[in-house]
This record gives sequence, C-alpha cells and structure tokens, in this order.
Amino acid sequence: MTKRKLAIGFMLSLMMATLAFSGCARQSERSEPVTVVVAQGAEPISLDPQRTNDQASARITQQLYDTLLFQDENMEIKPGLATAWSQIDELTWEFTLRQGVKFHNGEELTASDVKFTFERLINPKTKSPAAFILDPVTGVEIVDELKLRITTREPFAPLLAQLAHSAASILNEKAVTAAGEDYGQKPVGTGPFLFANWTAGATVELARNGAYWGVAPKIDRLIFRNIPEGATRAIELETGAVDIAYDVEPQDIERLAGNDKLQLVRKPTLATNYMGFNLRKPPFDRLEVRQAINYAVNVEEIIEHILLNVGTRARGPLGPNVFGAHLGLDGYEYNPGRARELLAAAGLPEGFKTTIWTNDSPSRTRIAEAVQAQLQEVGIEATVHALEWGAFLENMAAGRHEMFLLGWFSVTGDADYGLFSLFHSSQFGGAGNFTFYSNSRVDELLNFGRTSANSGERLVAYQEAQEIIVREAPWLFLYVSEEVVAMTADITGFVFHPAGHHSLKTVEKK
Amino acid sequence: MWRYVVRRLLLVIPVMLGVSLIVFLLMHFAPADPALLMLGERATEEQLLTLRQEMGLLDPLPVQYVRFLGRALQGDLGRSHRSNRPVAAEVLSRMPATAELAVAAVVIAVVIGLPIGIISAIKPYSFLDHASMFMALWGASLPTFWLGLMLILFFSVRLGWLPASDRQGLESLILPAVTLGVGAAALIMRMTRSSMLEVMDQDYIRTARAKGLPERAVIYSHALKNALLPIITVIGLQFGSLLGGAVITESVFAWPGVGRLAVEAIRARDYPVVQGAVLMLALAFVLLNLLVDLLYAYINPRLRTRYK
Repeated sequence: MTKRKLAIGFMLSLMMATLAFSGCARQSERSEPVTVVVAQGAEPISLDPQRTNDQASARITQQLYDTLLFQDENMEIKPGLATAWSQIDELTWEFTLRQGVKFHNGEELTASDVKFTFERLINPKTKSPAAFILDPVTGVEIVDELKLRITTREPFAPLLAQLAHSAASILNEKAVTAAGEDYGQKPVGTGPFLFANWTAGATVELARNGAYWGVAPKIDRLIFRNIPEGATRAIELETGAVDIAYDVEPQDIERLAGNDKLQLVRKPTLATNYMGFNLRKPPFDRLEVRQAINYAVNVEEIIEHILLNVGTRARGPLGPNVFGAHLGLDGYEYNPGRARELLAAAGLPEGFKTTIWTNDSPSRTRIAEAVQAQLQEVGIEATVHALEWGAFLENMAAGRHEMFLLGWFSVTGDADYGLFSLFHSSQFGGAGNFTFYSNSRVDELLNFGRTSANSGERLVAYQEAQEIIVREAPWLFLYVSEEVVAMTADITGFVFHPAGHHSLKTVEKK
Repeated sequence: MWRYVVRRLLLVIPVMLGVSLIVFLLMHFAPADPALLMLGERATEEQLLTLRQEMGLLDPLPVQYVRFLGRALQGDLGRSHRSNRPVAAEVLSRMPATAELAVAAVVIAVVIGLPIGIISAIKPYSFLDHASMFMALWGASLPTFWLGLMLILFFSVRLGWLPASDRQGLESLILPAVTLGVGAAALIMRMTRSSMLEVMDQDYIRTARAKGLPERAVIYSHALKNALLPIITVIGLQFGSLLGGAVITESVFAWPGVGRLAVEAIRARDYPVVQGAVLMLALAFVLLNLLVDLLYAYINPRLRTRYK
C-alpha cells in the first residue's frame, strides 16, 4: 500500500519536473514580448483620423495608418501607399497604389478605398476639423483597381504635401461602414501597428502588424499612456515606467539631460508663435506703429526667461523646416530708441493704450505680460486679457481683438499652408487671417506659389512674400516652437518628425 | 423606515432635474461656440452652420433642454461631440476609477483622522493634542498638487516602492489616495476633536464615570457614539466632494477619473459629456447623502422614530 503510494508519488513528481523543465525551455526559446511605453500629455480624442485634428490622436493614428505619400524627417515627399504619381494636366493627378497592401482586417487595399476615404473626409456629415486638407479637390476617379485620379478646382501645387497629412490617412470602406458611429474606437488601417485596446483616460495599446507592407516593427507592443502632468511624465521616465516621453517641460530638461540613463532629442517644430495686430483698428493700421512694437520687444529675453530657451527666435513667419522658409531674413533687433522714433513719426510720441488678448495657457499669459512690460518702456500701455480657449476663439472670430497671441502649426510643411491662410486677403477672420492684413503683391505671390508646379519658382515667390510681410510687420515675430522628446538609453531607432507625430515603426529596445 | 427611504428616493427626481437644468444653462451661457471648438478656426461659416444645425444648437433653449431630458430619461445621454463615443459609456468607464479613489481616500482619512481626533479630545491641550492639531492645520493647508508630487518624489523616485502613476492594482492606488486623504483626514480630525470635547462635558459622561465604568467604555460606548453624528456628516460631505473634485490629483497621478473627463469636456464645450458627467456625479452624491442619513438612524436611536 505504502509502496504503491510512494511509486505514484514518485511518478507524479517526475511528471511535474518534466513539465516544469519543458516549460522553462519553451520560455527561453520564445523571448518576452518587447513593449515600448510612450507618455504624452493628453488623451487622444478619436482614432478616426478624419474626426480630429489634435496631436495626441495623430501621434497614435500615425502608427495605425498610412497615407498615399508621406514626408520623411526632412519633410521630403516619399512614396507611401502610392508608389508612383504624375500630373496629367494642370488640374489632374494620377496615383498608382502599392500592390498587395492589406488592411488590419485582411481586406486588400484598392483604389475604391482611397476614393471612399477622400469623399468621406470632404463630406460635411463627417464633421471633420481637417476637411480643409482636401478643400481644393473636386473629384476622385477610379481608373482601375490600383490607379486613381484626383482633380482640383484650380492648379494646386501643395496637393502632395496635403495628401501626406495624417487626416488623409487611407481607411478601409468595409471597416468604417461596419463600425458605424464607433469607428473612432475600432480603427483599421494599413500601418505598422494594429489597434489592440483602449482604456479610457489611461492607455491605448497597439500590437505589431506582422503583415505590414514595409519593414515590420521590431517591437511587439506599443502603449501610449496619457499623463497630463509634465512633472509626472518626467518622473515616470526616470523611474523606468515609461520608455519615451513627449513634450518634456522646460523645467525638467536640465535634470533629464544630466541623467546618463536617458537621452534627449530637441528640435524645432513647424510652429511659429506670434503676436498679431488687428490692422483694422487704429493705430495698428500705421506701419510705423507695428514696426515700433517689433523694435520695442526683446524677444531673446522672452525666449531665455519664459521659455527657458526651448524655442528659437522667429525672424519671419515660417520656421526653418517649412518648405519655402526664408532663412536669410534679418527681422527686427531689439532697439527701444528706434521704437520711440517710429512712434513719434506715427504721431504718437507719448505712446497709446491697447489690449493684448491671449488664451489662458500659463506660458502664453507670461509671454503676454512680458510684452506688456516691455511695451511700457516705450510708452505703450497694454492690458492683458487672458481668456479660456473657447472664449478666446470666439472673441477673435468676432474681431474684438487689438493685439493677440497665437501660434500656427504648418503641419504640411509647405509655405502655402504656413502663409496663405494667415496673410492672403481672401482669408480674413476665422479662416486664419486674424490681422486682416492685405497686400496685393503678397496675394499675387501666394496665388502663384499655390498654383505653380515649378518648385524653384515657388521658392522665389515665397521668399519675396516673406520679405514684404516682415517689412510690413502685421505680426510681432516671436519664436519657433521646439519639441523635446526624452527616452531611455535603451531606445534606438527613434526618428524625430517636425510635425510632432513621430512614426515609431523603426524603434527598438535593447 | 422604508417609507422614508422611498420618499427620499423620490426626492432624487426633482434634485436631478434641478441639477440638469443648472448645468444645461451654465454650459449654454458660457461664451464660445461648440461647433467652432470642434471644427477649429479654419472651418468655414457654412460648415459651422451645418454642424450647429446637426447638433441642435439652433433650436430655442427650452426645446434643446426638453429634448435632452427626454433622451436622458430613456437612458440615452447622447454622444460626445468630440469623440463621438456614447456619453453613458464614456462616463461609466471612468466611474470605477473615481469611486475606487474616493473610497480609498475616505478610508485613509477616517483611519488617520478619527483616532487622532479622539486622542486629542481625551487629553485636551496636551502636547499630543497640540501636535495633532498642528498636523491637522498643516494637512488641511497642503496644496494637493504639491503633496502629490512630493509623495511621488519620495516613494517612487527615492525609495522606488510605489508606482508614480497609472491605474494598475492596489499599489498604484496608495499615493493618490493618501494625497486626497490627508486633507480630508485633517477635517475629520478637527471635527472629531471638537465634537468629542463637547460630548465629554455632558452630564451623562459624568454619570457614566461616577457609576464606575472603565474609561474605555465611557469613551467608546458613551462619548464616541454621541459624538459621531457630526463626524459622519463631515465624512459624507468629504466623500461627496472627493467624487467630483479630485481633478488635480487625477492629473498628477494620471488617474483616469470622471473629474478630468468633465474638465476636458468643459474646455471643449462638449455639452453632452459635461451634462452626463455632472448628472452621474450628482446622482452618486445624492445617494451618498441618503446613505449618510440612514446611517444617522442606525447610530442614533432617537432619530429612528422620525423615520416612520
């Protein structure tokens, strides 16, 4: 009896030992899945790229979807889902799609998906805040399974750059129709990662797409965490809970840079920040007054003390990464004496009273206050109104502003996007030209840049336009934003994209 | 008793109606156009108009309110203007995180506040009393933002014991709960002390002592039981405010609660989400108040006769 028990016991333990060993062996063969955790400061709104125009969402949809063309880290246009494209006539472009591309649901990419995607983006029912991307497009026509033609209302040179915008990501008709209203939570793309899970308010999880048409990612899982507090984001990176942290706050940079387990990437983005003047309100209709303000404000001091040097001086309306940016502009040097002379020449030797409108972001408010203090030196008495964003936009749209603080993100990386809406006289008010600036030569140059297919000629036109704009100073030119990304030393293959939604398909973790 | 409960539950209806009306009006009188915020400054006037129409913003306010109410009564709180997700799902998915944090914070507050308050009252003006009252003042005046970051620096960065953020199990709950609990503990501590001090002066305490009861029994079964009513009120109120007012703590610890959702929705003028979140929080608050009132009856037999 006892012998039998013993024998059974022996057999059992032998079996268990074998099982345990085989388990060990299997585990060492199949290494742990590699997960990279990315922290950003906001919750994505929707993973339907057409329903949003915010950075937090675009940073995720960038991993899930592809566009027909994409812009590399130098903002050069490269083939994406389209392998070839050509201009058939002034108004028509033909695109050839990549063969054998599969959506995450197994469907094959065809020209009809592209047509569906673009028509959905333009359709007012989609309520897309990025519909303007395809504003010049009048039709999408299928030539065959893998060929399509896009026609525009007028010749439109920046079309290729617009098609590289994340809002122009290609969707799968079947997936969109099947998910209906819930598509924003059930995204299906062709991108290097596929959607796995979304925990509201906390994380979005993506998984490697092994069937990706390009080089599939090296990591298995990509988790985006929503950590609103900059200090917490930095700490999570230091404690190793996070591998990559976006939007590192200026006050954390020095500490993180001194940590040899971390690495920092800081580069200019496509955003220019400025203080605009409402040219419809005197005395801002006077050129001397606008120039005087540009001379009166010490921008370098603002960048140093308020931005803690995270940002570079803007000498014109476009940042250096935008196609067409004039890098040789002198802009305005700090010269309060010259400012006073110009004010006197404008008949305002004693200065004047005005208001500065800004939204209530702490750094913007501080910048407004610094400008206020510096203007006081030359006799201009400005009152700062810090408004909550919604109220700010509404007041701006109603034209109640005199001076206002804003930024402009030239997401397509093209001068057309960075200048047309802001300085063309057809774009007054809500369309982007809040200064009501109007100059017939600038209009002409911007029209030319928009319609000419010759990039050399476009460049020349944009340079001249920028020279005029700087001379006429509808803005106080402030700074080009800089983005700081911090990551652990284990991370390799991170490619910084000036638009801010970095593709993470090449990222590896040691 | 049951009649009382039913009557109280029926009272929830006018309260919720009032809350919904106030939220509705506040949101609609706030400046800014939700359509503009949604489509961005580049939207054309035509696009904005279409969207306003579709959102029903062009109808007169009473029509909008009645429509909202009618749907809400059928359990349909609408869809978020921003994310297009159903509001009920959006709010409910955040509720557990909020409830978990509030409960944990209240537990911590009671565990710290009640005993220290009692000790302070038993030995008034002693060193212990002064020290704990100083602590209470300190705890009540600490900004949660600062306290949260200090706790993270010490326990996550320096010691590496607890995670700094993320909602993953009990470990991650400790720091945010302590951050929130400290302020509440301070209030409970002070309320316990003053309420106990008052009771300890009463004749029946002297009687209890005179008849030779051990001091423990005097304190716990005679004094504390009678002192408990105002303390429970404070705990209930604290609980209620923790449900909706933990926005800063939620931000510091990246805690996915309803408070942050509501604030984000307010900034985006996402009316359906704001209304949904406030209604649910209000409902939780009202039910909690009812629970507190019922606890009164349980603790204080004198009140039971009123609940017929």
